[in-house]
Amino acid sequence: MRRLMASAFAIALIIACSPIENAFSQNGKSGVTKEPARVNLPLKDGSVRFVVIGDTGSGANAQHEIAEVMLKYRQLFPFEFVLMMGDNLYGSESANDYKTKFEDIYKPLLDAKVKFYASLGNHDESNQRFYDHFNMNGNEYYSFKKGKVSFYALNSNYMEHKQVKWIEDELSKDNSEWKICFFHHPPYSSGKSHGSDKQLREVVEPIFVKHGVDVVFTGHEHFYERIKPQQGIHYFISGAGGKLRPGDVKASSLTEKSFDKDLSFMLVEIVDDQMHFQVISRTGATIDEGVLTTRESKLKATTK
Amino acid sequence: MKKRIISIIISIIGVAALCMAQDAGPSEKSKSEKSATVVAFEDRVKQYVKLREKIEEAMPNLSKEAKPEEIEAHKKAFQDKVRTARVGAKPGEIFTPDIISHIRATLKREFKGKDLKDLRETVLEAETKGVPVRVNYPYPQNKELVEMPPTLLLALPELPKQMRYRYVGKHLLLVDRENGLIVDYMVDALP
Repeated sequence: MRRLMASAFAIALIIACSPIENAFSQNGKSGVTKEPARVNLPLKDGSVRFVVIGDTGSGANAQHEIAEVMLKYRQLFPFEFVLMMGDNLYGSESANDYKTKFEDIYKPLLDAKVKFYASLGNHDESNQRFYDHFNMNGNEYYSFKKGKVSFYALNSNYMEHKQVKWIEDELSKDNSEWKICFFHHPPYSSGKSHGSDKQLREVVEPIFVKHGVDVVFTGHEHFYERIKPQQGIHYFISGAGGKLRPGDVKASSLTEKSFDKDLSFMLVEIVDDQMHFQVISRTGATIDEGVLTTRESKLKATTK
Repeated sequence: MKKRIISIIISIIGVAALCMAQDAGPSEKSKSEKSATVVAFEDRVKQYVKLREKIEEAMPNLSKEAKPEEIEAHKKAFQDKVRTARVGAKPGEIFTPDIISHIRATLKREFKGKDLKDLRETVLEAETKGVPVRVNYPYPQNKELVEMPPTLLLALPELPKQMRYRYVGKHLLLVDRENGLIVDYMVDALP
């Protein structure tokens, strides 16, 4: 009898301590209250439209569920590409892992020719840079351009001298209207588990400020956070694309808006000097939205 | 009187010059010694890189738009060939005692107070328990790769692109970034 009670207690303890994605999977799809998709973005012709997701590669049911919501939203907001904030594959990285933690989950998007641009996290091997669907072209850090927007993917897990020099050189030559950097570790964060990566910030932020970076997207923290603009830069954390750390945000003076109750992703649309964003949870609810302008247009507005 | 003043001034200048010469001597000497230590370390790293490059060049190229099966197969084959070529490799072949002393002294000098606290937090928060700290063994895929802060990488000798520093606990590893093999390591590298 005692043994039975001890076993029951152990099972209860295991269930209580299970990660949230397991709780989701127990609930199954029916356990998630879905809300109708509602897009509050301008949907202007010729705009740059994309999604920001981070810390996705768990392969768990929760990742499938948030991917389904992304797909649903694509019918209303046809985004062209996806920025990945790293931790693209948790655990092993066999050929099968690429399939179960990425390809199977985003198959409808891949079939629709949506491009994924990855950055590397602390759970990602460097060899991911060769993977065709990550569009890294063999590089751990790289840039690409969409319309008037320049995107820079960095490897914050190994910010060596060469990379620092590369980003400084590239940004200094870039006259694009929008300069956006994305990488894994957040220079600012109100996360209890990790918090701001001050050592990274010390090195990259002066470069971003000097060369007019407008927006920085990161992950690592398994929640969503919009940071109050720092030195004219808008910082976002979108690291709940496959894993969640519920209750991990300790709202601080940095926080403009945060959400740590469910998985999430960001929809972004850039129209001229405005960046519109809408953040969607696993239930399909909008948890944050807004409009930003480029540093340059802000400067013009204040000098007028 | 005038002569005495002149001789005192000359003596003072002489003593000052001697002191300056003595000051400059050891510091210049230690600087050149440090450089030689780092240069020798870099040469040993290059020797390894030369070996692994020769092996990789003989293998089929990994495309920049590879399929997962190709990435997995390439890594496995590369790992096996380098392990075979380095059978009997021992700890300390690259991290020799002089470079270990140099790195320990550099980190102790560069990271103090808050900086050291931040560095320790970054390095020690990572889940690296179970990583074998053994030469010629692969770094396990399912283990986290410790973020190497830019301030730390700026303090350490620069590595060729094929090589990476990684911390496992307080130990500093040299890891091949493509085949994932632990090429060498030094213990107690965190001040």
